[in-house]
Amino acid sequence: MSITFENVSYIYSEGTPFRYEALSEINLEIEEGKMTAVIGETGSGKSTLVQHLNALLLPTKGTVHILGRTIEAGTQPKGLKSLRGDAGLVFQFPEYQLFEETVIKDIAFGPKNFGISEEEALKRARNAMKLVGLDEQYEERSPLELSGGQKRRVAIAGILAMDPKVLVLDEPTAGLDPMSTVRMMELFRKLNKEHGKTVLIVTHDMEQVFRYCDNVIVVEHGRIRTQSSVSEFFRDSSVCRGMNILPPAMIRMRDLLNENGFDIADTVMDTEALVNAVERQVKRHG
Amino acid sequence: MGEFTLGRYMPLDSPIHRMDPRAKIMAMLLCLIAIFIPAGWIGYGVMFVVISGVILRAGLSFRFVWKSMKPMMIMMIFLFIMNCVVLRTGDVLFTVFGISIYKEAVLQTLYIVVRLLLMVMITTCLTATTKPLDMTLGIEDLLKPFERIHVPAHEIAMLISIALRFIPDLIEETQRIMKAQESRGVDLKEGSLKEKIMAILSLIVPLFVSAFQRAEDLANAMEARGYAPGEPRTRYKVLKMTTADWLLIGCAALLLAAMIVLARMA
Ligand SMILES: Nc1ncnc2c1ncn2[C@@H]1O[C@H](COP(=O)(O)OP(=O)(O)OP(=O)(O)O)[C@@H](O)[C@H]1O
Ligand SMILES: [Mg+2]
Repeated sequence: MSITFENVSYIYSEGTPFRYEALSEINLEIEEGKMTAVIGETGSGKSTLVQHLNALLLPTKGTVHILGRTIEAGTQPKGLKSLRGDAGLVFQFPEYQLFEETVIKDIAFGPKNFGISEEEALKRARNAMKLVGLDEQYEERSPLELSGGQKRRVAIAGILAMDPKVLVLDEPTAGLDPMSTVRMMELFRKLNKEHGKTVLIVTHDMEQVFRYCDNVIVVEHGRIRTQSSVSEFFRDSSVCRGMNILPPAMIRMRDLLNENGFDIADTVMDTEALVNAVERQVKRHG
Repeated sequence: MGEFTLGRYMPLDSPIHRMDPRAKIMAMLLCLIAIFIPAGWIGYGVMFVVISGVILRAGLSFRFVWKSMKPMMIMMIFLFIMNCVVLRTGDVLFTVFGISIYKEAVLQTLYIVVRLLLMVMITTCLTATTKPLDMTLGIEDLLKPFERIHVPAHEIAMLISIALRFIPDLIEETQRIMKAQESRGVDLKEGSLKEKIMAILSLIVPLFVSAFQRAEDLANAMEARGYAPGEPRTRYKVLKMTTADWLLIGCAALLLAAMIVLARMA
């Protein structure tokens, strides 16, 4: 099973002079159980794309298949609410969605909307707080008085508490400090590897793509430029350089070594293997 | 809400778009006064034709104007019902469910509907063809003479321009928050009363928070660039009236005069 887009186009403000085709004829296949990165320039249509996954935006043309449901252009899909519970979407800058009196209530808001009992919702909320690294002292604080980064965690916890099967994150780490960023990414990986959730993450950070993701989708001017596995994508760095994407540091290091006389194969894809390869070649010459 | 067109600027290029905002505002005021002169159906017919001409000249479609009207439909239906209940004079037109509908009530409502329609058409001619910033420049200039009687022309213009500037932002923000809450299972259409109240709260609170945040940011940004209310400022854009602009005002005045004559004759 996978999530598929068939010839999906999306047009903002159709029928006015503001008409803007944000997605054109997109065909995509997102593997379930994998962690997929969506990358692309500012304004390329990433956010528009991911909002199709929980039917916040309905395609102007084409069809989306997700979790056994079919969303077709021109028809009003049924069972939207259950889809929104199954495909949790964390918005870009989600800190603006907080409104409850206390952090714990805000996190429990989502699950309660999907018919989970008050008690169970609070239990899930506490659990989600632990996951995102907010300790108990925050439970009774007002979410509006937290710092930007703390708000972000509350917002992410609010979606995690819904326990969705597919987790969609639109630039979840933008503006977080490096430590929190790493912790967040580790959390998403854990949710993916241990809890079997399909994770789709929009990011501008190639290190994150390289280190955490299985697959990558490149969006360019509302079209899919490439779709491949991460290892395939970064193997030959000229491919991503050709798309104006700076490869991750490890790949750049490999390129630099090769430019300066080393001969390291493009199958070398992690730091350890790189160190070994360098060691071998130095020894052979020494 | 993406369909919201009332008061929206349409970035087209037409002779109407290029006119001086002051001329357009003056002409609009004259036309608005003209609407309230009871010149009978001929008068309204003339106005409708003239304003339709302007709308077409500005490159706008009637569909756009119609969309602007839509939000007022409920109000008009309400008005019609009120009129039918309250106005019980004149001839009985017909009877439904034992309630007689009087001719007077229908006529009165029709008058109001036609006036509203004309009003929306006229204001659309202005707002859809004038950039918000030009509009405020125009308002400021037109208010200038009243500064002598201590009307803070510049401050009023600044207030209006900021309000106009924020309308699209707030609409966008509302849509964004709505989407974010819908992702959390909020259903704005269905649900019990309690759920509905929660849904509205989940929209209003973040909207207020972000509106205040924006206001503060803007105030800081303005102060950081040395803005002080009441101090003299120079202008980047200087408005200039052309012959066409004077002609527009002239035509509007003529229309008003025609209405007065028609009203006298009736
Ligand atoms: N509500 C809207 N109405 C009209 N146009 C929109 C709207 N939202 C986005 N767009 C346009 O669609 C295009 C794609 O926007 P989108 O938000 O999907 O970009 P993005 O890839 O997520 O960018 P970023 O990296 O900045 O988040 C942009 O050019 C934007 O101007
Ligand atoms: Mg985006």
